[in-house]
Amino acid sequence: MDDIRALSAQLAQDPGSLIFLRLGEALRRKSQLDAALRVAINGLERHPHLADAHDLYARVLTDKHDYERAFDEWDMAVRIAPNHTGALKGLAFLYFKVGDLAQAEAHLEAARRVEPDDPSLEQAFAMIRGGGEAAPAPSPPPAATAPHPLDETRVFAGLEGANEGLLLIDGAGRVLGGALRDASGANVTDAVAAYLAGVSQEAARTAKLLGLGAWNGLSAEGQHGNVHLGQPAPDALLLVVRDRGMPLGRLAILAQRATILARRWLERQGGGGA
Amino acid sequence: MSTRAVETWTLQPLTDFVKESSVRLVLVLTPAGQVLAQSGFSRAVDVMSSAALAAAIVASTDELARQLKQPPFAALNHQGLKQAIFLSTLSTERGTLAVLAVYDLDVSSIGLVQLFFEQLAADLKAATPRGTVPKQVLAAHFERDLTDSLNTLFGR
Amino acid sequence: MSAALDLITRVRGVRGAMLVSADDGLVVEEQLMEGIKGPAVAALASSLAGRLRRAMQAGGLGAGVFWHLQAEQGALLVVPAPGEGGIIVVAVAEPDVNIGLVRLELLRAAEAVG
Repeated sequence: MDDIRALSAQLAQDPGSLIFLRLGEALRRKSQLDAALRVAINGLERHPHLADAHDLYARVLTDKHDYERAFDEWDMAVRIAPNHTGALKGLAFLYFKVGDLAQAEAHLEAARRVEPDDPSLEQAFAMIRGGGEAAPAPSPPPAATAPHPLDETRVFAGLEGANEGLLLIDGAGRVLGGALRDASGANVTDAVAAYLAGVSQEAARTAKLLGLGAWNGLSAEGQHGNVHLGQPAPDALLLVVRDRGMPLGRLAILAQRATILARRWLERQGGGGA
Repeated sequence: MSTRAVETWTLQPLTDFVKESSVRLVLVLTPAGQVLAQSGFSRAVDVMSSAALAAAIVASTDELARQLKQPPFAALNHQGLKQAIFLSTLSTERGTLAVLAVYDLDVSSIGLVQLFFEQLAADLKAATPRGTVPKQVLAAHFERDLTDSLNTLFGR
Repeated sequence: MSAALDLITRVRGVRGAMLVSADDGLVVEEQLMEGIKGPAVAALASSLAGRLRRAMQAGGLGAGVFWHLQAEQGALLVVPAPGEGGIIVVAVAEPDVNIGLVRLELLRAAEAVG
């Protein structure tokens, strides 16, 4: 209960933050479903394109036995982030409930391709193949809310501005290293990471379908800052953010150096992305 | 999102269309309202009513074009606040087919849907089985055929 | 509108320029070399612009002023026009085009149509 109080206080202080994901999940786990529902809906209104927000809403709806709307929400989460394992497992759960074992298995397979070491998937497969009565449990709270235990100074050591304005994520939008803060100092790492996976998929598709070959970078000037997005490995993305004072050309050079360092770090981890 | 087909040759083109255009719901049907494939629907009753309405719209716009002495309209797009409906026809060796798609405006756009509809039309044309005659729906078998189709479309 | 696109397509290495309705992904005006599919550029550029806009807003970076997709065999450059019209100005270019010059002409064109 203390957790819920602390999370509520944090959310009240910063209503635009992603704390609502942890608060909603905490309330759901305490079976305070109406409160969890309100938190999820308020969060979705502020972050309508965040897959984790749709995932949270779907879990609460599932607990309230509103499976049709839960299906829609998980479906939306997968369309925003096709590798969202929470949503894939949720959809598998709903298919299993209606007896569509082929679809349930297909969604679990898709989740396993993203997270091959997730032990809950094996249990779910065993359940489906064994034709058991119980369904696979919806996934644990999304990883996006809990930073990975990774020392980002090692990833970006020696780089100008290391520890801020650099973000390394995997293909599913999960943070591997780095952090981002907006002008007011609020941590926006998870929100940006969640959107970046969709940006890179769209960039790759655009370059391919327009006959431009493989994409190798995306630079953008915003009203309050400039960004460069690169791909240090096939399943990893690196975002470099600087204020508008840094021209895009210089930003691209900085991003190149960061990309090389990130690539080395990823190779040391066993190749590619996460 | 589940994609299912009564006529299996429509499955891969439809799956690709759904993935690329990010549409929420799709029906592939004959102008008579017979459903060949669906994606995203969770209830049989929605498929039945949507197919009937789509077939009626195709018929009425064709008739309007005929009365105006114009070629049939290429496509129809209704845009709401959050969602839009796209309805268009395409030609295959099996005759004309209609495609009804519903998409969310914050996920897709008419430009994307049109772009990948052209690909869907080409893919369906290429995938149509050669030299086969489309199955006729006789009134006597109508209910049984409808039930069979719905069972296939919902994996029962 | 056509004059605004003229200035962009005169830059060496630019293969086409367009005005696109950002919400619909449809072509408003285009000047393209043969082989470039206007509807595909419009649909894909507006979709990418939408996703990038959301990411930048989430990061507190405000509205996008200019963006540039670099690829092995070409580049896509976009500037949103000011105002409520929801128009984006798009250029398709060779990979070795002078980005600074295209950016300048895109900003001028956006100002003209905004």
